[in-house]
Amino acid sequence: MPPSQPQSGYGYQQQPQGAPAAGGGGGGYNMHPNFGGFMNDPTAQMGFQVGKSAVMAGQEYMEQNFGRLVSVSALKHYFNVSNSYVVNKLYIVLFPWWHRPWSRQQRLSNNGQDGYFLPPREDTNSPDMYIPMMALVTYILLKTLLAGLRGAFDPELLATTFFTSVFVLLLEIGIIKLGTLLLNISSTSQIFDLVAYSGYKFVGVIISLLLSELLGHLGVGGRWASWVIFLYCFSANAFFLLRSLRYVLLPDQNGQGVGGGAAGYTVARSQRNRRTQFLFVYSYVVQFGFMLWLSKV
Amino acid sequence: MVLFGLGGLIYVAVLLINGIAILSEDRFLARIGWTTTAEPGFGGVRDDASVKARLVNLVSSIRTLMRIPLMFINTVIILYELILG
Repeated sequence: MPPSQPQSGYGYQQQPQGAPAAGGGGGGYNMHPNFGGFMNDPTAQMGFQVGKSAVMAGQEYMEQNFGRLVSVSALKHYFNVSNSYVVNKLYIVLFPWWHRPWSRQQRLSNNGQDGYFLPPREDTNSPDMYIPMMALVTYILLKTLLAGLRGAFDPELLATTFFTSVFVLLLEIGIIKLGTLLLNISSTSQIFDLVAYSGYKFVGVIISLLLSELLGHLGVGGRWASWVIFLYCFSANAFFLLRSLRYVLLPDQNGQGVGGGAAGYTVARSQRNRRTQFLFVYSYVVQFGFMLWLSKV
Repeated sequence: MVLFGLGGLIYVAVLLINGIAILSEDRFLARIGWTTTAEPGFGGVRDDASVKARLVNLVSSIRTLMRIPLMFINTVIILYELILG
């Protein structure tokens, strides 16, 4: 290096002098390769290409997953309902005792690789968003109407009821997310499924509120009648959730422990037991608290 | 009331995260064996599937991730409470 060159000459300032020598890659001046020579190097070019494609792939993946989380087309799937579906689903939610096949139907896509779930219009066991949303609106209006009948109407009651319901929904999603995280359940279901399933309890709450108010007006029974109605609605909803969420939280029913040996099998068994306990606690204990809270007049 | 009760939810969440974030690793968590740094023995299979391991992982992730944002959130809430509360 010439002594007249300043000390910062390792960077770009050396380029007009060093570029012709370093351009050959194996030239005599490759002791301090500056950036121009570095970029012209074929190996560096290849690395650059690989890096670019990796970044592109990562971006695509992120876009895909993010789009799956909040895309409109995913939401449209949940509103694809028909009249007969709504009637059947309401019947199942209120009388889940005799319903037999609980598994959702899948249809293979064209390449035969990955199946997708049928929309609610074609599959009664599929969760939808229509019933929970309508039930939520109906619940808010009904709660306010009942308050008005008692002579305690307040416009703020609409907002309060709405935020209470949203709070309950958020809390439920949080509980079930924490449970799946702690129990290492890698379920492929979307978060909309959980929102939908936790919204079905408004149907039971509405029925319980309506019937107990009606009985109170007719003068039949007393406190015990409304308690009986509430307990029936709660147990129906809990049974429905227990059966439906089984396919969300316990994804592989019989495929568990097939690949592993005896040790893997026992681990899977204990894991499965814990998951079943979590499912039970979620659909009975947690739901009891929430439904009691919501149907409190 | 902030946003008809959603303020309470935010407060509870922030207080819970604060409570997790102040757990000292070498003074408290190591004493009760809740650290991820404990290496398993030779041939020991590290179980990432158990509930305790997951909890430990969650606590350490929250401690790592939420340290800087918590400062801002706490400052904003304290200022809010001082001025408008």
